[in-house]
Amino acid sequence: MCGIVGYNGAQRALPLVTEGLQNLEYRGYDSAGVALSNGTLDVYKRSGEVSALLDALPESADQYRGIGHTRWSTHGPPTDANAHPHTDCTGDVAVVHNGIVENYDELKSELEAAGHAFTSETDTEVVPHLIETALADGKSPKAAVQWAVGRLEGSFAVVVTMAGVDALFATRQDSPLVVGYGDDGAFVASDVTAFLEHTRDVTYLADGDLAILGASDGQTAGDVRIERDGEPIEPERETLEWEADAAEKGGYDHYMLKEIHEQPSALRQALSGRVDPDAGTVDLDLELPAEYVGSLEEVQFVAAGTSNYAARYAAELVEELADVRATVEIASEYEFDGGRDPWRTLVVAVTQSGETADTLAAIRKASRAGARTMAVTNTLGSTVTREVDDSLFIRAGPEIGVAATKTFCSQVATMTMLSVALGRQRGTLSSDRASEVLSDLRGLPGAVQQVLDRTDDVEEVALELADSDAFFFVGRWLGHPVALEGALKLKEISYDHAEGFAAGELKHGPLALVTPETPVLAVLTEGSRPEQTLNNVKEAQAREAPVIGASSGDGAGQYLDVEWPVPDAGLLEPLITNVYWQLFAYYVADSKDRSIDKPRNLAKSVTVE
Amino acid sequence: MTDETTAVILAAGEGRRLEPLTNRRPKPMLPIADRPLLEYVLEAVADAGIDRVVFVVGYERDRIQTHFGDGDDWGVEIEYAVQETQLGTGHAVLQAEPFVDGPFLVLNGDRIIEPSAVESVRRTLGESGEGSGSDEIAMAVSRSPTPAEYGVVTVENDLVVDLIEKPEREPPSELINAGVYGFTPDVFEAIRATPTGADGEQSITAAIAGAIDDGAVRAVRYDGLWLDVTHLWDLLSVTGRMLDRSGGGIEGSVAESATVAQAAHLAAGARVGPNATVGRGATIADNASIGANAVVERSVIFPDATIGPGAVVRDCVVGANATVGANATVPGGDATVIVEGNVHEDVRLGGVVGDNAHVGGGAVLAPGAILYDEVDVAPGASASGTVEQGTQIRRG
Repeated sequence: MCGIVGYNGAQRALPLVTEGLQNLEYRGYDSAGVALSNGTLDVYKRSGEVSALLDALPESADQYRGIGHTRWSTHGPPTDANAHPHTDCTGDVAVVHNGIVENYDELKSELEAAGHAFTSETDTEVVPHLIETALADGKSPKAAVQWAVGRLEGSFAVVVTMAGVDALFATRQDSPLVVGYGDDGAFVASDVTAFLEHTRDVTYLADGDLAILGASDGQTAGDVRIERDGEPIEPERETLEWEADAAEKGGYDHYMLKEIHEQPSALRQALSGRVDPDAGTVDLDLELPAEYVGSLEEVQFVAAGTSNYAARYAAELVEELADVRATVEIASEYEFDGGRDPWRTLVVAVTQSGETADTLAAIRKASRAGARTMAVTNTLGSTVTREVDDSLFIRAGPEIGVAATKTFCSQVATMTMLSVALGRQRGTLSSDRASEVLSDLRGLPGAVQQVLDRTDDVEEVALELADSDAFFFVGRWLGHPVALEGALKLKEISYDHAEGFAAGELKHGPLALVTPETPVLAVLTEGSRPEQTLNNVKEAQAREAPVIGASSGDGAGQYLDVEWPVPDAGLLEPLITNVYWQLFAYYVADSKDRSIDKPRNLAKSVTVE
Repeated sequence: MTDETTAVILAAGEGRRLEPLTNRRPKPMLPIADRPLLEYVLEAVADAGIDRVVFVVGYERDRIQTHFGDGDDWGVEIEYAVQETQLGTGHAVLQAEPFVDGPFLVLNGDRIIEPSAVESVRRTLGESGEGSGSDEIAMAVSRSPTPAEYGVVTVENDLVVDLIEKPEREPPSELINAGVYGFTPDVFEAIRATPTGADGEQSITAAIAGAIDDGAVRAVRYDGLWLDVTHLWDLLSVTGRMLDRSGGGIEGSVAESATVAQAAHLAAGARVGPNATVGRGATIADNASIGANAVVERSVIFPDATIGPGAVVRDCVVGANATVGANATVPGGDATVIVEGNVHEDVRLGGVVGDNAHVGGGAVLAPGAILYDEVDVAPGASASGTVEQGTQIRRG
């Protein structure tokens, strides 16, 4: 949930660390801090956004080593004291940490009994005190870090700096950490975004790896040594392709609006070189054995949040096109159970970041049960890609806005290709039908652009309805996940009450909530059983609710207060509708001056369970 | 002169004469060999060593922002100044005032130039900045065979002594204002002091008329590439010119039996089907598809467009997400085209298919046919002249 950055090299550390924190701010933002070390250690930390910390920092500082952290509270409220870095009793050891120390109660009691004084309510603070204990026992700094980390249970990424010690120490367990090799210094961070402007040459640490950045045992400041099981290893270095500054807003007021507008090009990237509509074939570069695909009894999706809704869309398509049972589980609720045959179940984890803790936990359960696993993700080199048998990339490019937009679109498009590939491989999908679906896919970027061309219309309606009591999104079949996603987007960024329903459920309860002050937004396209949904729309309209419909056919207009046209795209029409819902949510939130890119209490990549 | 020079690029204009292609995108975003006009201008600026750029944007600015972002792909830093209503080039320059300190350059975002134009204006501005008046202006001048369509300048002793916009009589010279200027911040005051023209616009040329009278506008001769897209058919000729220079390139997928000419460009996500022919001067954009046996020559195919099997498309612009059905024919050749009341005879334009328009199977476009957005031509029907947005053309 939180962000970590560290630097050790030939440049002054303060500007590099604060820049890294600003780049990471989207991950969590209720407090932030920095520790700088040379012969002594200076720590600065504040609750609030990174800008509050910047006010508390000196203009410049001499140190060449530093670590920083942005925090999203798990243990203890966001206060100055609870902000990272945390220090030991001597004030010579500073630690930043992501994740959860599960045995911290026990460790804290033990340390307190030994006379250590704690100043925060965080689980993290046990780490510097453990290191202090080990140093007092005469251990070397490296051995002290290893001993302390060995005492921890749970998930963590930890970076340590000490007064008078020329190296930074970084290690991880179930929480991401990546080392960057700069021209004249080394970086470590929870996410490459922190230092992408300085280097793209990186190594992702594996669980248990210890990275030593800088001048220790004959290294110079920019050197990095990585040890696994106590032995130095030759790290696997990767060169990242993402543009650092693709993470800049480029004239848009918010990343979210920028990312909404990037959908046509993101979709073209997702499709490029993968589909041949004329032949009805898809090439996803997966190595699923034919006999395995043929014998599948179930495709089980696991995902959280928006990715979960993308998975629901995909599950319907898998059943429709590949003729195999498909289910969707909320990642945090997942168990491999219900009498499934692991040899005939494909478990697909859908996660934008590839680091979502709930989804990783679920995919590990599936692996342990013996099922084949696949990841659908946006992030090369992410943890999930190392845990699954096959990875399928959505190629959406970096998404900074906390509210997912283009990645939903690219996830569904990519999984549509997967459905077609499975259907063709299983022999359950005719090449004619495959060709039709793939033509619709190819038409998707242009269709989404047509919706974006109507942005002004959507803005006008959004401003008119912004002050409504609540918003209800309805749809059937493929329109149902889109209704859920539309409501989620609105509530995430505007803080308004919004709910998505299967349209048929309206009359089984929610209709009681419908009033003239509650707009109803309906999916009325192909793939969403529009005629039936129209009956539900009439029920809402009879209660004088304003009704907005996105439709691709004729005849719905007379029952709608606002009708937005959706270009013909078969089963993908509900996905196109979602772009209207995104724009609607954006303009409702913008009219209320909300913190659209960083909604309160939310973080982009949820790396705690 | 230091590297601190900022280049202000004017990209807020609508480009009415290029409708329907400018209905959903600003003129600077029209593609030449699959790259927006504005990208050529930006590259000339970047190649000249300038890394601070301000885009003045307005009409359909989302398109520009989405393509260029913060400029990292071009190694420059782009900031955006928004001109909410298009009130002339002078007004546009004023919008950049908060982003500029010290001498700066101004360029049109829709004219292709070479880096040398930028370099020499910058150098001249640097020379004049020391010693002479701080209101000095540098202006690139170029020779044109059709000067009367532009601002015609008279130059004496390297100073601009006269500037007449689109003269109706015989132009006094063949030298034209190339649209690359060097200014000091004093120009902002000069623009504000200039009365608004009869058309309600503040033009940059009106604002510097006073400086011309004072002998303060230095002419910077430029004889490099200078290409303007004024009319729809220019899009085809300028594309051909640029493909001749660059040699085109094939990044998309091409069926083995298909033929793609040397001076053609195929974007990464484009596809060409079996036995199709993509001839000289054609560009096929991302995610566009050319069906089996189709022939595409000297044409610009926008992203997401579809050319059906067996279609023949020559001298034609096919807009984004438009469809030309199987065996439809755009025979190409010369035509008489009327744009905003002006008659243009013998221009080479086979036709224009607007964004999201649909030409049915076997339909025919007469030379010079311009279909606006979302026009739907039924299978076997024929279309000619200018067809308004959303019109359905049936057989008959």
